[in-house]
Amino acid sequence: MDNTGTSSTPGLKSNALWCFVLLCIVGIEVWLTYLHLPSGTLLSFLLVCAFFEAAIAVTYFMHLKYESPNLAWSLIPALIFVLLLMGHMLPDAMRVVNLRVIHW
Amino acid sequence: MWLFIASDAVTFGAILYAYAFVRIATGNWTRPFEVSSIVNGIVMTTVLLVSSVTMLAAFDAAKQNQRSQSFIWLGVTMMLGIVFAALHIREWIKLIDEGWRLFQNPTGGPVVVGSTFFCITGLHLMHIIAGVFAIAVVAIKYRRGSLNAGHVESVGLYWHFVDLVWMFVFPLVYLMNAK
Repeated sequence: MDNTGTSSTPGLKSNALWCFVLLCIVGIEVWLTYLHLPSGTLLSFLLVCAFFEAAIAVTYFMHLKYESPNLAWSLIPALIFVLLLMGHMLPDAMRVVNLRVIHW
Repeated sequence: MWLFIASDAVTFGAILYAYAFVRIATGNWTRPFEVSSIVNGIVMTTVLLVSSVTMLAAFDAAKQNQRSQSFIWLGVTMMLGIVFAALHIREWIKLIDEGWRLFQNPTGGPVVVGSTFFCITGLHLMHIIAGVFAIAVVAIKYRRGSLNAGHVESVGLYWHFVDLVWMFVFPLVYLMNAK
């Protein structure tokens, strides 16, 4: 259970700095929202921002950067595979919008 | 803990994906969130991010065997988690007062708007509350000496994961549905 081999992890100042970076990204997301972009464009931008935030949180807050490379290699390829599968199925939702139920 | 986080990530990923699918497939989706709700969401995000920093401070203190210091930081993290939950419940009460329910849309639009919102945010809120309890147990036991810094790290990983999920919930559920 004791896996505190992360002796080279950053200190409080570095963590606070990354927290500030994340807050800035949140600010960018809110700004993009009120630009009233088309839904598809807004969603793309928000997802990119969210993945940046997730990468920062996983790397620096969850200390994946300082863990064994095997852990990262176990997680990242599986994540990419799942995301590709999701992306492959999502366009069906756009086709569903155009399906009509015929009432006889 | 990493395995548990991976499984929980799959759960949230599936729910958020289902929400995205339903949202795209529903033509007349209602956007219920006014500026006050978005501001509340920004405050909640800030609280959760700061709580992640305090959790990291708790782990740093635990690594240096500073049990009292770590206990204090864990307590601060718990308080911030409770603040987040309180803000969240306040948002829920506001929406319920406006007529939103699991299967009711006061504007007459699709009822799935309410059900997706309450289910996704409710699941996240449950994780926050469970995390607060977990931090309390670890804090008390660590202070007494029956747990070590590894346990503090593990509960910290869970807390950062809950924060990470919010990084997706806030833009997808709140910002995409802002008026």
